[in-house]
Amino acid sequence: MSQPLKNEKERLEAAAEKLLSYAIKSGADAAEICGSYGLRTKISLEKQDYHLASSDDGYSLGVRVLRGQRQGFASCNSTEPSELKEAALRANEIAGFSPENPHYTIQKTENIPTEAPTQLVDPALIDLSIQTQKDWTRLMVAEATKDKRFKLNEGTLEIGTSLSLILNSLGTHQIEADSAASWSLMGMGVEGETITSFDYFSEFSRKAQSTPEKIVQSSKRFVSEVIANLKTGSSQSYKGLVIFTPRAVLDILISSLSYHLNGRVVAEKTGRWGLNDRDKPILSPKLTLTDNPWLLDRSGCSSFDREGVPTRPMHLIESGVLKDFCLDHYAAHALGLSSTGHAAGGPSSLPTVSTHTLCVLAGTASKKSLFEETQKSQKSFLVVHRYSGQSDPVTGDFSGVAKGAEWWADGEKKYHVQETLISGNLFDALGKDLVSVSNETMVIDSDEESPTLLIDNISVTGG
Amino acid sequence: MKPIAELLEKTLSKSPYWAEARYHRRNSQALQVQKGLVKQAKSNLTSGVGIRVLVDGAWGFSSTSDLNPQALEKALKLAIECAKSLSQLKKTQVKSLPAARLARGEFSIPGYDALKTMPLEQKLQAVLKAEEMTRKNSTLIQSSTCVYNELFEDKVIVTTDGANASSKLARNEIKLGAIASKDGEMAESHESVGRTGSWDCLFDRSSLNEMSENAAKLAVDLLSAPKIPGGTATLILSPAMVGLLSHEAIGHTVEADFVLSGSVAKDKIGTQVASPLVTMSDSGTVQGIEHSGGELLVDDEGVLTQKTTIIKNGILNSYLHNRESAAIFGVEPTGNGRAWLYYDEPLIRMRNTYIEPGNQSLEEIISSTKDGYLVDCPLGGQADATGEFMFGAQKVTKIENGKLTKMYRGATISGQAFEVLSTVDAVSKEFILDLGSGYCGKGQPAKVDAGGPYIRCRATIGGVQE
Repeated sequence: MSQPLKNEKERLEAAAEKLLSYAIKSGADAAEICGSYGLRTKISLEKQDYHLASSDDGYSLGVRVLRGQRQGFASCNSTEPSELKEAALRANEIAGFSPENPHYTIQKTENIPTEAPTQLVDPALIDLSIQTQKDWTRLMVAEATKDKRFKLNEGTLEIGTSLSLILNSLGTHQIEADSAASWSLMGMGVEGETITSFDYFSEFSRKAQSTPEKIVQSSKRFVSEVIANLKTGSSQSYKGLVIFTPRAVLDILISSLSYHLNGRVVAEKTGRWGLNDRDKPILSPKLTLTDNPWLLDRSGCSSFDREGVPTRPMHLIESGVLKDFCLDHYAAHALGLSSTGHAAGGPSSLPTVSTHTLCVLAGTASKKSLFEETQKSQKSFLVVHRYSGQSDPVTGDFSGVAKGAEWWADGEKKYHVQETLISGNLFDALGKDLVSVSNETMVIDSDEESPTLLIDNISVTGG
Repeated sequence: MKPIAELLEKTLSKSPYWAEARYHRRNSQALQVQKGLVKQAKSNLTSGVGIRVLVDGAWGFSSTSDLNPQALEKALKLAIECAKSLSQLKKTQVKSLPAARLARGEFSIPGYDALKTMPLEQKLQAVLKAEEMTRKNSTLIQSSTCVYNELFEDKVIVTTDGANASSKLARNEIKLGAIASKDGEMAESHESVGRTGSWDCLFDRSSLNEMSENAAKLAVDLLSAPKIPGGTATLILSPAMVGLLSHEAIGHTVEADFVLSGSVAKDKIGTQVASPLVTMSDSGTVQGIEHSGGELLVDDEGVLTQKTTIIKNGILNSYLHNRESAAIFGVEPTGNGRAWLYYDEPLIRMRNTYIEPGNQSLEEIISSTKDGYLVDCPLGGQADATGEFMFGAQKVTKIENGKLTKMYRGATISGQAFEVLSTVDAVSKEFILDLGSGYCGKGQPAKVDAGGPYIRCRATIGGVQE
C-alpha cells in the first residue's frame, strides 16, 4: 500500500473508531460502522470531443445501531468529530422511535479465508500519471472516432482507488483496498437518415498493464456492434424459438431470477421458492448458476460483505436443482441459518442482500448447433442481444424492447431489428422452455458471465 | 448561508479564469416498511463544494467536503490543473459563456421549514399505518410496502460572472406497493406521489388512505386480468403515461447535448414533428400547479429557470440548454443545468416536462373511441436518441364502442415518439403532473416531474402472440 493510501487508511480507521465510540456512548447496545474512502480522477467525453477533467476524493461513514431490538442508521461524509457525533445521535434517535424487530442483529464475523483474493490493488494504477490516463483516453477516442458513422455522445475514463471498512462493537474489523480503471462509451450509429438506438458499454480493469489492450478491444467491439445496427429491417410477429445471447440472458432472465434467490425475499415469503425447495429441481437441468466473489478480474470481487462476513464462491442452482439462497445476517436470523456473505450496500445505506458475480455455467451445445437447431424448426427467428423493458420479478413475466436484435431467415442473418417487442416468462424460459445452452460463455461489463441460450415459446411482436 | 456565499466568493476571487463554486448540503431521510416491519429508517447528511472552471476552452472540476478556505483553494487549483491538462486535447474549445439571467439573492420554495419541523417519528407512524391499511384491505394481499423519502436541499451558487444565489427546497415522495396472490397467480401494483414542499403537499390529490386502497384494489383486480394481445392500437394515454412519453421519448431527444450528438431532433427546429394539438413544455415552475416534483427556481449553473416551449402546436420550437450548449446554438440558456450532488458537474436535465391541456373532457374522448385501450399506471420507461420509446403500464382497460370494458394486466407500449405524437387526435382538459416520485437517470439522478392531459394516439402495445 502506498504511503498516501496508508495515511487515508489510518484517517478512515480513526474516524470509524470514534463514530463507534460515540454510538455506544449515545445509548446503543451494539453498533456497526461502514466506512469508505475514494479518490478518483476522471476524463469525460461529450459530443464527439473531450469534455471535462475532474479530480475528487472523500470519505463516507455510516453507523447502524441497535437498542434492544430497535435499529437506527445515519451517515455523513466527514471525519470531523462534530459531524460524527451528530450522526451517532441521529442513529440512536431513530432507533429510539422505531418498532422492534427480532431479526435485527450485529454479529462478530470470522476471519477472511486465506484462499480469498486480497490483492485488489495494483500500485501501477494508484501511481498512474495524468499523462498516462490521457493516453489511455486517446486510445478509446481513436477507436470511437475511426468510423465516422459512430457518434460518440458520452464517455469516461476513470482511475479510482478506494478503501472499504467494516467495524463493529463485537470486534469485527475488516478493511480492503481496491484500485481500478473503468471506462465507458455511449453513442449511436448515424448514416444519412438512419439512426440506431443508443448503446452503452462499460468495462473495468484491476491491472494497469492489461488496461490499454482492453480499452482498444472493448471500444472496437462496441463501435462495430453499434454500426452493425445501421442495417435494419423489421421482424415478423411469432411465438416460438428465440436465441438469447449472454447479455440478454443476464439482463432479462438472471436479474429477475436473483430476486427469488434473495434470502430476505424467502424470509418474507414473497418469492417463488422457500427453504423446503432446497435440493429440489426448480428449473431446467441444463441450468447451473453460481455466485463467485473471488474472481479478481471482475468488478464484484470482494473478500467480505457489507457486514464484514467473509465471502465465498457458491452454487445457487446446480443442474436445475436449488442449492442455496443468498443471505445477510438479517435474512439468516429470520430463517434460522447463517449469513452467506451477501450483505450489500455502502456507508450511506443499511445492508441489503445482493449477489456478487453471477455466472451461468456453459452447457454442451456449440453455438453453431444452436443456430442449426433453430433453423430446423423455424424458417425465421430472432437473436436478442440487448433489452430494455419490464421484468416483473414476482410473476416472472417480462415484456420489453429487444434492441439491435438480429433477424435470421433462410439460414442467414438478414439484418438488425432496431426495436421489436418480446415477452415471456422467466420460470418457463429457464424451465420447460430452455432448449439448449451453448458450450462457451461471455463476460459482460467485466462482471457477470453467461452462455447463449436457445429458448422456446417467446412472444415476438414485430413492427 | 451568507458566510458560505462570502467564502465561495473569496475562493473564486483567486481564479484568473471563469469559475463557479457550488455549495450543496443535503439531508436525506428514508423510511421503508414492509409487512409491518421497518426495513429502513435512516438519515444521511452530505455536504461539500464543487468547483468548476473554464480554462483555455476546457472544463475542469474538483470537489471537497471540507469547507475550510485552504481546502477550497486546493480544490480550485486542482480544477484549474484538470482543465489545463484537457485543453490541449480538446478539438473544439468552449467559447466564452453567453449572457444569462443569472440569479442573485435568496430563492426558497415554501414547505421546507414545515417538513423539517415535523418529527421523523410522526412520518414513520403514518408510513406504518399506510402499509397496514394496504395489507389489510384484502385477504388476497400477500405483501405490501410503503416507502417514504425526503431531501432537504440547501445550496449556494457563485460564479465569477455574477451569479450569487442561495436556495432552499425540500422534496418528498411516498410510494405504496401491494402484491396479491390467489391460486398460484401473483400480481403487483404501485401507487406513488412526489412533491416539492411540505408533508401535506403529498396528499393534495389523494389521501394516504385512498392511496392504500387504490394500491390494494389494483393488485387484486390485476390477479384475474388476462394478458393483452399484441399489435398496433388506438390508445388513450393517462397523464402519467403522457408524462413518461414527454420526458423519456421527447425530452431526452431535445436535450442540446444529445442533439449535438445527432439525436433525431437535430436540425428539426421549425419543422412539424407532432399533431397541431400538441404543445409541450419543460419548466421550473408550472402555472396553476404548486409543489410539482421537479420545481426549481435556479439551476446549478446559477441561471434562473424559465418555461421552455419545446413543441408549439406541433412544431419543434426549442431545445433544452445549459450555458455551454446555449453558446453553441447562440441562444439564451434555459436553466436546465443540474447536478445531483456537490461532487457532480451540472448536466442538461429536465425539470417538469408536460403536454399542455386541450379542451375535450376524458369522458368525451372515451365515448368517441370505437376500439382502443385506456393505458394507465406506468411502470417506468426508456427511450432512444431515435425517439423510439418503450414503457410499461400496470393497468390497461379495453374501450369498445365508447365504453370502458375489460381490464388487462401489464403491457408494454412502444413506438417512435414523434410519429406517435403526430397521430394525436384528442387532448383532454384534465391536466395532472403525475410523475413527481420519479428520478431521471443520465449518469447522475435528477428529481423531475412530468405529466399532462389524457391524449388519444396510435402506438404498438406489446403482449402475447398466440
